[in-house]
Amino acid sequence: MSRIDPRGWGLNQRLAAVALTLGALTLLGSPSPGGAVTLDTRELADIVESEVDHITADELADWIVQGRADYRLIDVRSPEAYAEYHIPSAESATLRDLYDYPLYRNEKIVLYSGGGIHSAQAWFLLRARGFAGSYILLGGLDAWTDEVLFPWLPADATPAEVAEFEHRRRVSELFGGKARAGGGAVEQAGVELPKVAPPAPVAAPRKRRKLHKQGC
Amino acid sequence: MSAPFYRYALFGDEMSLILAVVIGIGFGFFLERAGFGSAKKLVAQFYFTDMAVFKVMFSAIVTAMLGMFYLSWAGLLDLSMVFVAPTYWLPQLVGGLILGFGFIIGGYCPGTSLVAVSTGRLDALAFCGGVLGGIFAYGEVYPSIAGFVTSTSMGRVTLDSWLGVRLSLVVFAVVLVAVLGFWGATTVERKLARREGADAGALT
Amino acid sequence: MTTAREPAPYMNPYLAGLGLGLVLLTAFVVMGRGLGASGAFSTIVAVGVDAVTPTHAAGNEFYRGYLENGFGSPFKSFLMFEVIGVLIGGFISGSLAGRVKKTVEKGPRISTKGRMAFAVAGGALMGFGAKLAGGCTSGQGLSGGAVLGLGSWTFMIMVFVGGYAGAYFMRRQWR
Repeated sequence: MSRIDPRGWGLNQRLAAVALTLGALTLLGSPSPGGAVTLDTRELADIVESEVDHITADELADWIVQGRADYRLIDVRSPEAYAEYHIPSAESATLRDLYDYPLYRNEKIVLYSGGGIHSAQAWFLLRARGFAGSYILLGGLDAWTDEVLFPWLPADATPAEVAEFEHRRRVSELFGGKARAGGGAVEQAGVELPKVAPPAPVAAPRKRRKLHKQGC
Repeated sequence: MSAPFYRYALFGDEMSLILAVVIGIGFGFFLERAGFGSAKKLVAQFYFTDMAVFKVMFSAIVTAMLGMFYLSWAGLLDLSMVFVAPTYWLPQLVGGLILGFGFIIGGYCPGTSLVAVSTGRLDALAFCGGVLGGIFAYGEVYPSIAGFVTSTSMGRVTLDSWLGVRLSLVVFAVVLVAVLGFWGATTVERKLARREGADAGALT
Repeated sequence: MTTAREPAPYMNPYLAGLGLGLVLLTAFVVMGRGLGASGAFSTIVAVGVDAVTPTHAAGNEFYRGYLENGFGSPFKSFLMFEVIGVLIGGFISGSLAGRVKKTVEKGPRISTKGRMAFAVAGGALMGFGAKLAGGCTSGQGLSGGAVLGLGSWTFMIMVFVGGYAGAYFMRRQWR
C-alpha cells in the first residue's frame, strides 16, 4: 500500500481516501436542527381564511362508517375526558403529547377537542411543524354530539333537507345516538352521550400505529 | 427542506408501492452482485476467509450515512423525519445473538435468502420456510413474552445523543472505524489465504 | 438459461457496498425509511394465521400489527412490494452474471438432507430473533446502522458475536 502518491493507489485505496475525506469534512458542519421551525404566517393565514383547514362532523361520520383508514383522528382533550367518551377510532394525545406522538407529515390528521379552541391550537402547532395534512373537526365534540349523535330536523325543512336527515338518522344510530325529529332544540336537556364508545360499524378502529413495524 | 419526499406528502401511497419495487430491485441487484446469494460466501465471514459481509455492509452504511449527513447539512433532508428504530436494548441484544446463531446455522439472513431463492438456491427456500416458522413461533409466544419485548425501552436514541457528542463526530468515527476495519479484514484474509493455500480460494 | 457459462466473479465488495448504500440513501430520501425484509415474512405469517383462525389472529397483538395498515390490505405494504423488487433485482443480477443455478449451497462434508435441515433450523432462529430485535440484518443492521440508532448498533454487534460464536460448531456444514 503506497502511502503518499495517490497515482499509485488502487481502487480500494481511493475509495477509502474519499470516505475518510468526506468523513473528516463532516466535522466542519452540523445538520440543520430538527426542533426549530420557520413559519410562513401569511400562508397559514391564507389556509385559515380559505377554510380548507377543517372537516365537518358529518364528513367525519361518513369516513368512519365507510371504514376509511387513510386518516388519523386525534382527541386532544384530557385522557379522563377521552376515557369517558370519544369518537370511535380516535386516539388520545394532549397538546403536550403531540410533540413526540407518532404522526407523519404525509398523513391526514383530524384533530378535535370539546369545543374547538384546543384543536385549533393543536392544528397550529402541527402545521408549524410541517404536518400539511392537519384538519380540525369543525365545532369539536359539541358539533359531533349535535349533528351526528343527536341530529334534529328543523320544522321548516326543505325536501332536500328531509332526505339528508334520513341519512343522518341512520348514521346516528350506528354511533349509538338518536335522531330528534321536529324542533329538536327543546329536547336538548335530555341528551346524554352514549356510555361506552361504540365501535365503528364497518371497520374496527385502528390501533395506534406501531413504529417498530417500519423497521424490517 | 422537502426530503424525505414521502413524509412531506410529495406523492401518495400508491406511488410509494411502485417506488418500493424499484428500491427493492436495486437492493436485490447489489446484494447479488456482492455475492450474497451464496450461503458459502456469506458464512465465510465467520471463518475469516472472506469478509465481504463486513465490507459490503459497512461500505453501504458509510455511504448512506455520509449521504444523509451532507443532504441534511445542505438543508435538503430533515433528519428528524427519518425513521430510527426505537431502542429496546435488551431484546435487541438477545435478538441479535439469536439471529447471529441463525445466520451461521442457516447460512442466510432474510434479505439475502430472497436473493438466493431468486438465483435458484434450494437451501435458501428451506431457510425461508424456517423463517416463516420462526416468526409463527414468535407470534404464538408473543403474548407471554410481550413484557420482555417492550422492556428496556429508550425510545428514539441515536449514538450521538446517547454519547452526548456532535453528530459529525460519530459520523467521522464510524468512517474511521470502517476504513480501519476494512484494512484489518483484508490483512486477516491475506494471512489465512497464505496459510490455507488453495483452500481459502476454493471457498469464495 | 445462462448456466452453461462460467459464473462471473463477484463485484468488488466496496463498490457493491457503495451501490447498496446509494439504494439505501434513496430509500431514506424518498421514503424516510430504510430497507427491510423480515417484515414481509411477518405479514405472510400473519395473513396465514388470519386465514386459518381469524379470531386467534385478532386476539394476538403481534399478528394484528401486521394485518392492520392504512392501505386496506396487509399485502399492500412497502416491505411486501420491496421484497418483490428484491427477488426481481437478485434474478437480474444473477442472470447477467450467469449465477442462476438450481443448487444447494453446502460444504463438502455434509449431506444435502443435513444442509436442508440446518437451513430450516437456522431460518427459524433467524425469524424468531429478528422479531425479538424488531428487525433483521437489513432493517436493523443496515438501515438502523446508517441512521446510527443505538439499538441497531447493539443488535449488529451481537449478530457478529453470535455468528462467530456459532462458527466453530457449524464448521462441518461449511468447511
